[in-house]
Amino acid sequence: MMTLLQTPLFWAMLTIAAFVLSQQAYLKLRKPVFLPPILLAIVILIAVLLLTHTDYAVYMEGGQYLHDMLGPLIVMLAVPLYQQLKHMKKHWLRIMLAVSCGSLTTVLVAWGMTVWLIGDPLISTTMVTKSITTPVAVAITNQIGGNASLASGFVIITGILGAVLIVPILKLLNMNQPATAGLSLGVCGHAIGTGRALELGETESAYAAMAMTLTATLHAILLPWLML
Amino acid sequence: MIGFLILLFFLVAGMFAQQTLSLPIPASIAGMLLLLTFLLLRGSVPQSLRQTTQFLAPWLPMFLVPVSVGIVMHKQLLADHGLMLLMILTVSLIPGVLVCAACMHIGVAAKVAAKEGNASGENDQ
Repeated sequence: MMTLLQTPLFWAMLTIAAFVLSQQAYLKLRKPVFLPPILLAIVILIAVLLLTHTDYAVYMEGGQYLHDMLGPLIVMLAVPLYQQLKHMKKHWLRIMLAVSCGSLTTVLVAWGMTVWLIGDPLISTTMVTKSITTPVAVAITNQIGGNASLASGFVIITGILGAVLIVPILKLLNMNQPATAGLSLGVCGHAIGTGRALELGETESAYAAMAMTLTATLHAILLPWLML
Repeated sequence: MIGFLILLFFLVAGMFAQQTLSLPIPASIAGMLLLLTFLLLRGSVPQSLRQTTQFLAPWLPMFLVPVSVGIVMHKQLLADHGLMLLMILTVSLIPGVLVCAACMHIGVAAKVAAKEGNASGENDQ
């Protein structure tokens, strides 16, 4: 049993098993928006890690197998983006406006609140990367003097919150058109939001992928310049 | 498999471009932009790539699980500031979404208004 818990392949298998199980539960429970498969899978795996006293580093040796797939999967986002580009060309001004204003608003509010309520410069500096997709956020955090593992945590929590909350917020306002939902998910929920958008439809995922890329690129250029 | 090979090829190309030009964006984003350029020049998505995308896209969230589990590393910070941070992340999301939706909506409203003006007909919304 102890050796099994040290085997990377076991953790890779358990990650897939946890996700598939969470997906089945998600479908059985008629797709509850507050419990996307990714959230339940994370909770299950954290519980297993805590119960078996396994270090995250040991888990990640196996998790790495899946994590390494993120590279090709991000490249793959060009496909839905291309398929929707014709439609987007007509709305490029609206899209650029929504991406830049929306992402800078959420980051500015988060940064301001952190300075005001927590006051730790490391946490507030790290907070500005919260709307960037994880790999970009980690790279930029090092540039601007934040903490990379903290950044990854904020980005993930933001992504989960975005994936869970954005669609209900938009529904409440009766503004959940596919383009708006996708764009908001990409801007405010980056890769996890984009994952949620993939479940919603092609228009949503194209807008989310595009918004996530535009936000990441914009912030990658803007933040080091603003923060230094 | 050819579709997946295309993805890996553009990831490697993105890595190469990022390193040679020391781009501030990560290799995967550079690769995505290169693949996008390729698709724009080609004018269509290769059949193999379309199949790979259709198969892999629904599984994207699964590949984000390992990095997400990393939250477990920040137990102390979460104990000290967890609730406050969760509140900040939740509250700051709302103005962002509102601004996004407003920008998208203003555009739609203006476009519909223009359409109505041209056709002097009635459009819903």
